[in-house]
This record gives sequence, structure tokens and C-alpha cells, in this order.
Amino acid sequence: MQIAPNVLFSVAGFPVTNTVVTTVITDIILILIVLLVRKAVSLKPGTFQNLIETVIDYFYDLTNETAGSKVSFIYPWVVSFFLFIVISNLIAQFPGFESIRFHAAGAGEEGAPLFRAATSDLNTTLALAVSSVVITNFLGIRHIGIKSYISKFISFKMFPIFLFVGILEFANELTKFISFSFRLLGNIFAGESMLAQMYHLFPIGVPLPFIALEFMVAVIQALVFAMLTMAFMHIMTDKPH
Amino acid sequence: MEILHTFGLETKLFLFQLINFLIIVGILTKFLYKPIKKMLDERKGKIEQSLRDAEEAKIALDSAGEERKKILNQAKKDADDLNASAKVSMQKFKEERINEAKVSAQNIEEEARQKAAVEFENMNKQIGKMSVDISQKIIAKIFSDLFSEEDKQKLLARALDKIEKGGYEKVAN
Repeated sequence: MQIAPNVLFSVAGFPVTNTVVTTVITDIILILIVLLVRKAVSLKPGTFQNLIETVIDYFYDLTNETAGSKVSFIYPWVVSFFLFIVISNLIAQFPGFESIRFHAAGAGEEGAPLFRAATSDLNTTLALAVSSVVITNFLGIRHIGIKSYISKFISFKMFPIFLFVGILEFANELTKFISFSFRLLGNIFAGESMLAQMYHLFPIGVPLPFIALEFMVAVIQALVFAMLTMAFMHIMTDKPH
Repeated sequence: MEILHTFGLETKLFLFQLINFLIIVGILTKFLYKPIKKMLDERKGKIEQSLRDAEEAKIALDSAGEERKKILNQAKKDADDLNASAKVSMQKFKEERINEAKVSAQNIEEEARQKAAVEFENMNKQIGKMSVDISQKIIAKIFSDLFSEEDKQKLLARALDKIEKGGYEKVAN
């Protein structure tokens, strides 16, 4: 199993990979959720509305406890990261998801899987990491002002200690791109590879515990990404001391 | 660059994923989180309002209970007062009726006594008259043979005078 996604076909020079297909499916599921909830939203919630309300309310309360008054602009990002990643991760756990093959150019006789978890593609995880870090810094600037924001990285107080701390902070911001993207990619890709190997070795029965494990990993990784984003947004929107 | 190629990193795909995610965040925020949050706040408000109403209703109920108790106690007190007052009135009425009856009985008794006295007087008078008549007849019978007409008249007059006086006194005594 290769780490790069398989290009299935191209549309006007844009390479449509199997992770792009899964991303589109994830988008459709999210839009369907929006449509279903909007259609049936009421003060007496049904089962589906209850589930969505629980997720949104959980993250709202969690963000409120952590970030307090900044909850209104932080929690939409946190819930969005969670929902996008968890749905993308979970749909890839269904047995047979990768069994549907597509005869792509250069994929050999077996062809390439038509679907693959969107989060097992570095393009997706890096895009999520860039979104998280850039939006975090943008919210920081908007909330505390450009002067306070810059003073987080460049400060001449107790020279050179705080200047050195600032450089470390800046390096920390850069490493977030790598940590966010590769943590998610590594976990999901490793899980997929392990399941693929299991299906090859023991097609019946044995992969079941591993599927359960991957379900847990799928939820935990989404939660980790969302919680870290929330924590970084809270820290970045705090004035430097 | 080789490692990026190994990971399949491509600018077009990266930008697609980035823009796709930002659009999804926009859609979710506008069409999912805001309506749900608004509805949750509305529900929370309604629940809080209901709890406040329930608390107020409980207080009103307690107050009504106390008011009821107060009214009942007052009613009981009024009833007791009324009962006591009725007993007093009844006693007074009874005593008045008894006194009236006693007075009436005394009046009747007095009246009867007076009537009896009048009757007695009348009877006494009648008896006196009857005695005089009888005495006249007896004396006339007894003395018609013994005395002359003149003596008879004298004796009769004297006897009558005595009888009248003595007989009346005897009868009266």
C-alpha cells in the first residue's frame, strides 16, 4: 500500500485521487446532516437532532470551560475539525471500503482502490493543519491586536531570555504544521495498512478487533486534533504576560 | 522534494483540500451551528423560565396553603364564636321564656286566686242569704204556734238581728 493517494482520473488538469473522492463523500454527508437537521430542527428534538446537538453542545461547553468569553469564535472551528475528521475517518472503517477497485492509469491489473480515507492523504492533513495554525494566528491578531501578537515572538524584556523564548514560540508555531498533519496521517494510514494486511492474511474474523480498534483511533484522532486546535486558539488569543 | 513526491503532496490537491475545508466550515457555521445554538439557547431559556414559573407556582401554592389554613382557622374561630354566642343567646332566650312563663303562671295563679276569692265571697253571701231564709222559715214554723203575732215579730226581729250578726261571723270564721 503506497502512502501517496492514487490518481483515478483528471478533470481539466486537476488530478482526482481516491482521497478526493472520499473528501467529496464526507462533504456530502456533512451537507446532508445540515439539511436533515435544518429540516427537522425543533424544540423537541428527535434522535438525529439529539445526536448533533449533543456533539455541538459538548464542544461548546468544553470550549466555554477552557476559553470562556472567546467561545463564540473558537467553537465553530473546533466542532468543524472534529466532524470533518471523524466522518472522514469513520467511513473508511467500513469493511470493503477499499475493496472496490478502479482501473486507473498506471495502477496495474488490480487497479487502485476507488475510496481511501481522506485523512490518510498528506494533502488533506496538511490542509487541515494549515487551516488550524493560520486561523489560530489570525484569531490571535484580531483578538489581542498586532502589537501584542508580535510581542509573543519578539520581546526585549529581560534580554535575551524573552527573545530566545520568542524564537522558540515561533519554531513551535512552525512545528505545528508538521505535528498536526503527520500525527493524523500516521495514525490513519497505519491503521489502514494494518487492516489491509489483516484482510490479506486472515480475511474472516481476525480483523474484527482491529476494526473496533480503528474505530476508536478514528474518533480519538479527531478529538485530539479538535482539542489541540481549541487549546492553541485559547493560548494565542490570550494577551502575553 | 523527493520526499514530498513520495507522500503524494501536490499543490492543486492541497489547495483543493484547504478551500474545501474552509467552505465546509462556512456552511456548517452558518447553517448548522448557529440555528442549533440559537435553538439550544431558546430551549435553555424556556427550561429556565419553566423552572422559575414552577418555583413561583410552588411559592404561590405554599402561600395559598397558608392562606387556606388561615381562612380555615378563622372560619373555625368564627364558627366557635357563633356557636358560643348562639348558646348564650339560647340560654338567654330560654331564661326569658322561663321567666315569662313564671310571670304568666303567677298572673294566672293570682287571677285564679282573685276569682276564687270573689267566688268565695259570692258563695258566702249566698250561703248567708240562704241561711237567713232557712232560719226565717224554721223560726217562722217553730214560733208560729207558740207566740202571738206581735211577739213573733219582736222575737223574729231580735233573732234575725242576732242570726245576721252571729251567723255571718260564724260562717266567716
